[in-house]
Amino acid sequence: MSHVIDVESLSVEFNINNQFFKAVRDVSFYIDSGETLGLVGESGCGKSVTSLAILQLLTKSARIHGQVQYGGNDLLLLGSDQMRKIRGNEISMIFQEPMTSLNPVYTIGAQIAEALLLHKNISRKEANRLAVELLHKVGIPRPNEILKDYPHQLSGGMRQRVMISIAMSCNPKLLIADEPTTALDVTIQAQILELMRQISDDFNTSILMITHDLGVVAETCDRVAVMYAGRIVEQGKVDDIFFHPQHPYTKGLLNAIPKIDAETKRRLEPISGNVPSLTRMPAGCAFAPRCPMVMDKCRTDLPDLIPIDDGHYSRCWLNNLKEDSQ
Amino acid sequence: MLKFIVRRILQSIPTLLGITLISFMMIHIAPGNPARLLLGNHYTVERAAALTKELGLNKPIWEQYFIWLGNILHGNLGQSYVYNEPVTSLILQALPHTLIIVAVAVLAAHLFAVFIGSIQAYYKDTWFDQVATVVNYFLYSMPSFWLGVLLIIFFSITLGWLPSGGIVNNQLSNPGFGDWVRHLILPSATLFLVSVAAWARYMRSSMWNALLQDYVRTARMKGASEFRVVFVHALRNSILPLITLFGLSLPILLSGALFVEEIFNYPGMGLLFWDAVMSRDYPIIMGVTVFIGVVTLVGNLIADILYGIVDPRIQYK
Repeated sequence: MSHVIDVESLSVEFNINNQFFKAVRDVSFYIDSGETLGLVGESGCGKSVTSLAILQLLTKSARIHGQVQYGGNDLLLLGSDQMRKIRGNEISMIFQEPMTSLNPVYTIGAQIAEALLLHKNISRKEANRLAVELLHKVGIPRPNEILKDYPHQLSGGMRQRVMISIAMSCNPKLLIADEPTTALDVTIQAQILELMRQISDDFNTSILMITHDLGVVAETCDRVAVMYAGRIVEQGKVDDIFFHPQHPYTKGLLNAIPKIDAETKRRLEPISGNVPSLTRMPAGCAFAPRCPMVMDKCRTDLPDLIPIDDGHYSRCWLNNLKEDSQ
Repeated sequence: MLKFIVRRILQSIPTLLGITLISFMMIHIAPGNPARLLLGNHYTVERAAALTKELGLNKPIWEQYFIWLGNILHGNLGQSYVYNEPVTSLILQALPHTLIIVAVAVLAAHLFAVFIGSIQAYYKDTWFDQVATVVNYFLYSMPSFWLGVLLIIFFSITLGWLPSGGIVNNQLSNPGFGDWVRHLILPSATLFLVSVAAWARYMRSSMWNALLQDYVRTARMKGASEFRVVFVHALRNSILPLITLFGLSLPILLSGALFVEEIFNYPGMGLLFWDAVMSRDYPIIMGVTVFIGVVTLVGNLIADILYGIVDPRIQYK
């Protein structure tokens, strides 16, 4: 199966007081057709920046290196006109904040139709008809009436459905979902995730699911990449990550999930310490200051992302130890 | 909507009464005697007393106010002391001249301010923004009468391109439309230049704020062009402050036109008011004051109605 998108050694730097700091470091991953890849990590680990870099939606102060191979082109080399033809058409995105992501002064219908009119050679009437169809598809009742409503008249869950219908309007090959359920109630979260899974199945759309919620990963993803401080620290199939986590950070994340079926009342185990700030990134492994298994080497040298199993990689010196001992 | 407009008009009645009461008192407290100015060289104490009585200025001030108010309610703004003509007809003669320069200036200033302010916000902190900011502050700090004089010196005296005042060239037998337009240019340009600077500043900060919003990112994600992002998505969200300024600008420009009309000897509302103040022609002063009061209230009402049209979240109950 060919990859829909292939991100290779992506790095993003931001200019802070005339110094450049790397928010994303040497990130590589691919997504296959119809597949959902989870990009997991704490706030500020660079997952949103990674996704915005793919669509070139970052501010001008950002410097991007690496390659984003898509449809035979490196997206990072495309001009703004070519990039516009891809955005919303072949690759689209939904955002964390459904409350503010829609334009408050235009109707729902106008905002869905806009995406269609920008990319398809159709009449406004036809675009409106398709908008009704899309609203129906994302489970919005009375689509003919909602079309004439303004965003402030809808709830957060409804607005996120509208965002999904905008993102899906041109039947994209890749949908980037940046924390699509974080701002929603738990019951609405489940509905939105179910909707996305259904869309992915129906349209064979690949999804890059960005989240800090391992529950969302378990619900939706085929493969997972775990990010920490701008780097991917572990990558693998969902089962590999959940049942055979290799990196101490991944293990820490899994231990921090409350388990409802635990036999004894066990305390949650938080990962001690905080994410290092961009301006004070430790040498060596960025997780070393918080790692329970830290060794001297971790503080000075950065481990490579080495294969553990088929498609399962981890960036930790412990893996090298295991290999050496075998 | 209709209910809202009717209620606003009813609410504005006490405001208008307050404006007239305060203006009436202030004018009569201010020094200067109309009878003395009217009589000029023919002044004697007896004639002045007779004229004062004839004009009703010997009555107690509150009585004068209620007489004036009673006339207003009958649609009568009184008779000018100096011109001996009804104030209403004097205002109707002067108003079109002012309206044309104010309309040209307000319209051009709004379009230009929206455009320049938006571009400045988009290219914030670049050389374009900095140059525009310097020019803005230069114009902003310039009083209209001073700018008017500079324009006359440059375009009328040095270059001789445009007339320095009036509405038409009296020496021409048939002045025509072109001559009329040439007389409009400098007064309109003066009003335009002193307004556009401040408005562009408002537009710049409002647009800058809008461009940071999430829906702008959504528009880019859809594949909208940068032009569309700025002038379709962000513009309608950032134009509210300019609508407020539009409402406020009507009366400010009518009084700002006062200096401009004086400088350009342009026979509009400003000049009418100026001459009335100089000759203590109370009925004209009060008539123009009431007129500007009404325009202020109407300007604000128009702004409030426009809010609702631009932003669907604003509703009238």
